[in-house]
Amino acid sequence: MELTEQTILLQAPNPAAAENGRKISKKGSFSALCRSGDDTVYWGECAGSGKNPYRVSIDWLNPEAPVCRCSCPSRQFPCKHALGLMFERLAGKNFETAEIPEDIADKRARQAARTAKKESGEEPKAKKPNAASQKKKLAKQLEGLERAEKMVNDLLTAGVGTLSGSSAQVYDKLAKDLGSCYLTGLQTAFTRMALAVRRIQEDTGQSDAAYAEALRLLVYLRSVINKSRTFLEAKLETDNYSAEDTVLFEALGGVWKLEDLHAVGAFREKARLLQLSFDVSYDEAKKEYIERGWWLDMDSGRIDQTLNFRPLKALKYVKGEDSRFDLLEIPVLYTYPGEGNCRIRWDAASSRPLTGEERTAFQTLACPDLAGALKETKNQIKNTLLPKFRAVLLPVGRLGRVGDTFVLEDPKGERIVLRDRPEDGKDHASTKRLELLPGEIPSGSALFGLMFYDERDRSICLHPYSILTPERMIRLQF
Amino acid sequence: MNLQPLYDVKSRLEQAAIAGTGLLAEDFRLQRAAESLKPLAAASPVFAKIDNGLQKLLSASGEERSGLLLDLLALVDAVAYTQGSSGMEGELLPLSGTGVGTCEPLSYGQLQPLLEALSSTGGGRMNLIKDMWENHPEYFGDFRVLPSLAAGLGEGYAELAALIEDILKAQSPEITVLLKKDFDPAGKKDMVRRVEVISALEGRKATAWLKEVLPEAKKDVRGAIITALGADPQNGEFLLELCKGERGASREAVLESLALQEGMEVQKFWEKEVAKNGSFVRFLAPASFDWASDLVAAGLQSRIEQALADAKPLTQESLDELYLWLSAAKYKASPAMQDFWRWAGEHLNAVSQITAADGKSPKFDGQLIDGLFSILCVTAPLSELCLELWEKDKKGPRFLPHAVIASLFTRPAAEVYDRFAPYVLTSKPLVGSKQKQELHDAVLKGLSCIYWNQEQERYAVHYTNAVSFVPSASCLFLYAPSAGDLSIAEPLDSKWIGRLTEAVWKTSFDRQKMPFQAGELVDSFDACLAGLVNPADEVMLQAIVPWLRRQAVETGAWIAYSRWLLQFGVSPKGILADSMKKSKRSPQLYHVWDLLRAASETLQPEETAALLEEIRDAGFFCKDEQVRETVFNKTIVDLRDGKPFPEWNAWWKA
Repeated sequence: MELTEQTILLQAPNPAAAENGRKISKKGSFSALCRSGDDTVYWGECAGSGKNPYRVSIDWLNPEAPVCRCSCPSRQFPCKHALGLMFERLAGKNFETAEIPEDIADKRARQAARTAKKESGEEPKAKKPNAASQKKKLAKQLEGLERAEKMVNDLLTAGVGTLSGSSAQVYDKLAKDLGSCYLTGLQTAFTRMALAVRRIQEDTGQSDAAYAEALRLLVYLRSVINKSRTFLEAKLETDNYSAEDTVLFEALGGVWKLEDLHAVGAFREKARLLQLSFDVSYDEAKKEYIERGWWLDMDSGRIDQTLNFRPLKALKYVKGEDSRFDLLEIPVLYTYPGEGNCRIRWDAASSRPLTGEERTAFQTLACPDLAGALKETKNQIKNTLLPKFRAVLLPVGRLGRVGDTFVLEDPKGERIVLRDRPEDGKDHASTKRLELLPGEIPSGSALFGLMFYDERDRSICLHPYSILTPERMIRLQF
Repeated sequence: MNLQPLYDVKSRLEQAAIAGTGLLAEDFRLQRAAESLKPLAAASPVFAKIDNGLQKLLSASGEERSGLLLDLLALVDAVAYTQGSSGMEGELLPLSGTGVGTCEPLSYGQLQPLLEALSSTGGGRMNLIKDMWENHPEYFGDFRVLPSLAAGLGEGYAELAALIEDILKAQSPEITVLLKKDFDPAGKKDMVRRVEVISALEGRKATAWLKEVLPEAKKDVRGAIITALGADPQNGEFLLELCKGERGASREAVLESLALQEGMEVQKFWEKEVAKNGSFVRFLAPASFDWASDLVAAGLQSRIEQALADAKPLTQESLDELYLWLSAAKYKASPAMQDFWRWAGEHLNAVSQITAADGKSPKFDGQLIDGLFSILCVTAPLSELCLELWEKDKKGPRFLPHAVIASLFTRPAAEVYDRFAPYVLTSKPLVGSKQKQELHDAVLKGLSCIYWNQEQERYAVHYTNAVSFVPSASCLFLYAPSAGDLSIAEPLDSKWIGRLTEAVWKTSFDRQKMPFQAGELVDSFDACLAGLVNPADEVMLQAIVPWLRRQAVETGAWIAYSRWLLQFGVSPKGILADSMKKSKRSPQLYHVWDLLRAASETLQPEETAALLEEIRDAGFFCKDEQVRETVFNKTIVDLRDGKPFPEWNAWWKA
């Protein structure tokens, strides 16, 4: 893989770390720069705040996943020194050819042994669930559901309007209790309820929106509680304690591991994915940043998403994701249970530029027409457990304006209004960027975005995220 | 199908949830909404299901109501989603397609820090934006960044707003679409900046838009728009008309703009205007048109003639007006103006008799001579006139500085050297010493306005601001180079430096300079001399380097002379410690670090290490063992090991 600024940013845990690495390189902190004869290992010394310089190395044996090592105490990975070394290489600094130092060679050998073991198919022994503790957990969860249901009923009896007079701490406390009952999904819903209470109390001008949000949460909770109770009682009756291929598992707060997804068959092999868009949002209830990538399966046309959660408390230590522009070839792609745009993950991938043929395939991979996409979206959003939007790739017939409104017309002449989804916030506003686009959007293009129901005029609209022309992809987000 | 009953039911159910299910039985509006849904229920099973749910809810017991209400809300929502409309009727017009900015594949990681810095508040943003502009100017032209950049003109931190304005001025003219959109003619400073950017990018093409927004414009924005209109030379008539209705600051803006217009009507206007109020001539200072030149020449001459004819002391007001008219002669070189200077040259003796109200002489003859010199620095077409004036008075020093500059503007470098170098004496004359020193000083004064602009690799003449008139240009040398400074005809003859280092009188400029802001004063002569040197000219270097080394030891100004040597790529090794010993002040560790950091950027590590050794071995800072060890010895070892010169932090900690 060619080393570019973007590939360095992809390795960086966050943009600030990359910037710090660039500064270290620019001010000439590196010395004794060396590389191995086969060009796979680069190392050097970097002056830091300590007495002795840090020893930094990067092993590019697997160009897609370089192994960075540094003697600094930073918990960021890779640290700014390793990123600085990448910038040294990018800047074309002189690296003398030398023998790989013994310590790096040893670490490299150990790494190779671990990889070989993994590839030999020796699967780690699956932990056998402890039936007694699982039973206890299920009972506790059912107990939590009872409490949550009582809270919902009490609130509705008294009226959601009483939220303005109630204490947000009541919901915070219940949320905490639900966490103790292994119901972290419901815990988050009640934390959101507490946030709605605070919003009403702090700014009465926002009360209508906050009441509407509270109502949506209550409808969701009612649905989750009812379905979960049936689901958990069935598990308890059948003594089945393993993870199951259902959205309820996550809605209750379950966390999928790759081996569990593999066990339930939620994977496919040799996938080719192209990122359609990338964005970051902040979840106040969970106090974490969510980095979301939308991906197009170049074989099936399916659109799924990657989600990288970065809790505020550990922001510096959890590697951030970034936009990707090349096509990814993924040996094993894992898909989370659910409907619509599912969450996907992988543990290894290689990238390459799109071929000309792949570029022209966008419109054939898009939904055949707007009507079909509308039907699918409506089916999804009426399910109380699924998101109130659906990511779609639509063929472009014409893109333009009717008055001040941006409108997409598909090749069959059907139209949809393009509009920012209010829930996405101002930092996701991208519709107006359409008027800044250079040149017309040629036929054969496709538009990617989120289709949603807008309560304000009871219409289905599309929040545009990117445009795929046969020549290039224009990201209206990132 | 009329779906209003469905939406009414949805709305009533939501209200019921807010009011509480305890009040459901009394909610007659919900019952009425349920009634109006009946026709739909009869027509469609899904509405029948809703109707059924409503009946159940209204007849349910208190405990059941909450669950039933939420189930019904979920059902009604689902039906509402299913019935959601889509599309839009009307003529679909294509997007403009003109495009603003670039659409390159730039990632979130690349753009987000910049977007955040442009849209947030707090410290650190200025540096980040500056760094980005330096390293990645292409990010700023991205179509996702440009709107934030335009919004950044409203930044409260004025320095940052000015940087953003400069960045916008460096973009392509197409981006003005963004600035014109949502433009508020009654706005504040951000709108003023928008006008300035639009004017800088579009020039005279902005006229139509400026005229369109002018009627609604208020205060500062109005002034900015009027100033911008001055950039189009076709706006004379419009501005003349505008001038009739404007008052205060806006009228002054019109006058500024009118000074940049041509035409008979404009000329007539100015004749009347300056006749009415002589101080308005200040607006004509930037104008170089012949009519402006003629007007200023006539006004200036008539005022001097009046002063001579009155033969009585001038009031301060009259004197100030005379200076104002003199400063307005900048950039003006029409035949009438040249005639004025000839006339002035002939009447200098009479002018010298003018007295001020306090009875003292304002030395207006000297002001005229220095004024012409300063004007010549920015008005090269006056060169031949200045040479003519000097030819008439060749024995005197009055027009000799002018002749030096005029010759450098128009003659080959060697000819200038041959003509004027003899005035710079290298040995004391036996007779006529005073007169010869005056000529000697006059040549030095002329040369002091010349400097080597390293960035642009050219010799230039320093621009003199004639509005805040500086009579003597001799000390204007070390100013930051300006792109507007005029170039001389050929690079300065290399022999000048040798000649000047041997000059017998070097104290002509009695003021001292502090060239590197380290509290050290050096003689202006040396500062001027160092500024004349082109570091790529070997002949010049051979002359200046020994001079600087000698001066360093003699004056003890170790920072300035070492920095000049480093500027010329030469190490101050061998004189640094001696110069430091000669200094009256004890050296500070920071100044040593700063000098050696600069040395490390120019010299080889070994040479920088040798300078450190020289300072250490001379005994400086030797009382502090820790400084000696951790600062000097460690840095020397590190430099020799190929490590970079340390940050100040590393020395300071020691």
